[in-house]
Amino acid sequence: MIIAERKPIDEILGFLSKHQKVLVLGCGGCVTVCLAGGEKEVGILGSELAMARSKEGRPLEVVQKTIERQCDFEYLEGIRHIVKEVDAILSLACGIGIQTCAEAFPDKIVWPGVNTKFLGVNLNVGVWAERCQACGQCVLDKTGGICPVARCSKSIFNGPCGGSQNGKCEVDPDTDCAWALIHDRLARLGEVDSLREIMAIKDWSFSRDGGPRKLVREDLELESGK
Amino acid sequence: MSADANFQPKIVVFACENSGWLAAEHAASLGLSYPERVELIKLPCSGKIDVIYFMKALEKSDGTMIMACQQENCKFLKGNVRAAQRVRQTQNLLKEIGIEEDRVGIFYLAANMGHKFVEIVQNFYDKMRELGPNPGKVIK
Repeated sequence: MIIAERKPIDEILGFLSKHQKVLVLGCGGCVTVCLAGGEKEVGILGSELAMARSKEGRPLEVVQKTIERQCDFEYLEGIRHIVKEVDAILSLACGIGIQTCAEAFPDKIVWPGVNTKFLGVNLNVGVWAERCQACGQCVLDKTGGICPVARCSKSIFNGPCGGSQNGKCEVDPDTDCAWALIHDRLARLGEVDSLREIMAIKDWSFSRDGGPRKLVREDLELESGK
Repeated sequence: MSADANFQPKIVVFACENSGWLAAEHAASLGLSYPERVELIKLPCSGKIDVIYFMKALEKSDGTMIMACQQENCKFLKGNVRAAQRVRQTQNLLKEIGIEEDRVGIFYLAANMGHKFVEIVQNFYDKMRELGPNPGKVIK
């Protein structure tokens, strides 16, 4: 899922300083699961903002709403009547949701309430770790299901490098060496010999080097092109 | 002490139904009284409390607290531990926006402690009187 973290309250209060009525908009997707921008976080932040502004003697009316997903226009369509009534939107969705929201409501200011961090997994209560960089060409079949792009600090393809010590990374001793993990897992599966194969240079054209990416599946497109 | 000598704080008390709530009933059965502007809300366990409950309570009150079972005596094992964590989380949020963190607290007691219940509420009430009105109160 996409991992996000709420922005510092002072930054958010700065965004909203000139507004009197805002919509704090949560998302029921990833940011709900990572406890950054779901219904509960909307309620907590809404209270905090209202209290902070009340303390300043400049009351802020906070409308609170959480929709199924902010990265789908159809869900945003359902709140158009609420958006019409507010000065601005504070979106607690990931960067994708915030941008979709801004695109759906071109005449309304949309402020980001979270910092989108990475694509990752929940390891423990309050602990998340990166697992994918959306490089566009998955190699997990060759690496025992452990991604060297996201989990090796250097994203190297024929590791480990010389900085791997006792299964830990030289960049950060708290980080597991991805290539040590790959080796150990393949050894457990009896597939360690597959590592003798030299991996070809990665084709990064599937990643970000060609600018923003777009996926078109003609098999799913409707005849109208919409 | 608050500048307004007549200031009567409003307080929201969340109470575990296995301790704080029963202690309140015990206090009533003993005929003990406590300040008028105290709203009691029963929870199935102190672990049911959440930051959002405290924050919503503080939008309309001067202080809020959770009354939990004695430490290591929670019927659901860790409810009072989690409640204490949520009090700390709420205190951090209040600190962020410059509101006194003492406006939220946790207190431990047992079902048969009616006198203790009144003492806790009265002390907290007096503390809120010292602090004065909650500057962040939204619903006046």
